[in-house]
Amino acid sequence: MKSVIMELTHPPFGRENTYAALFVGSASVSLGVKVTVVLAGEGVYVGLKGQVDPQGNIDLPSTEQQVRDFMELGGRVVVEEQSLSSRGIFSAELIEGLEVLDSKNVTDLLLDKGDQIMVF
Amino acid sequence: MVAETGLKQTLALVLFSAPYGNQYADHMCRVAERALGKGYSVEIFLYGDAIHSHLIEQKPKNFFNIGEALTRLGDKGATIYSCLICAIARGYMREFDEAKKVYNSPITLPFVKFVTVQGFVSMIKRADRLMMFGSS
Repeated sequence: MKSVIMELTHPPFGRENTYAALFVGSASVSLGVKVTVVLAGEGVYVGLKGQVDPQGNIDLPSTEQQVRDFMELGGRVVVEEQSLSSRGIFSAELIEGLEVLDSKNVTDLLLDKGDQIMVF
Repeated sequence: MVAETGLKQTLALVLFSAPYGNQYADHMCRVAERALGKGYSVEIFLYGDAIHSHLIEQKPKNFFNIGEALTRLGDKGATIYSCLICAIARGYMREFDEAKKVYNSPITLPFVKFVTVQGFVSMIKRADRLMMFGSS
């Protein structure tokens, strides 16, 4: 089974990157590819729970729902600890099921576990 | 590039940014050309704003012409895919061929193949190596 790592480095909504990555990520998992999403840098904001748009002002698909759907299909989501702490984000604020790893383990993951790496 | 199995290695290149505003497309095309020269089987996927790379009649005055570069790559055997829903969103698909059940885009370079996300995943599965350009 092919193993793909997708590193998300941008926050949700401001760009198409996150939506596009999770779209391909979910499709890949559902078609038999092992996919790990790594949230690093500004990408850690993708992992926040409670993302809401009550007035519908943004009018974009919910990134939080995309993350939940991706994990429900069998995808793994890892968050880099230092990116969280430097932004004052606590693990309790993250969507349930996300794994927090320190940067050494994230680097090891990138080097050892990905046949293909895509950075969005 | 030939693997120990005797089969050609497949290199997948994903481009995620539009041409000319930066040099990601140039860089990707140059890598693709070199890879073909080294014997790789090259597959290119244009995703998001990168689909503007396959617009016909590009005439940059001073920049590396991405349309011409993609044409050269296609002539040399690279397979070039474009994201169908990205193209629909950006107004590239003008006609739907009822008989063939496919969209036609009269403003797209003729060798480009439009595929859904399943086509993207199929490329991932085929690829021995994958490089991505232009997501920053």
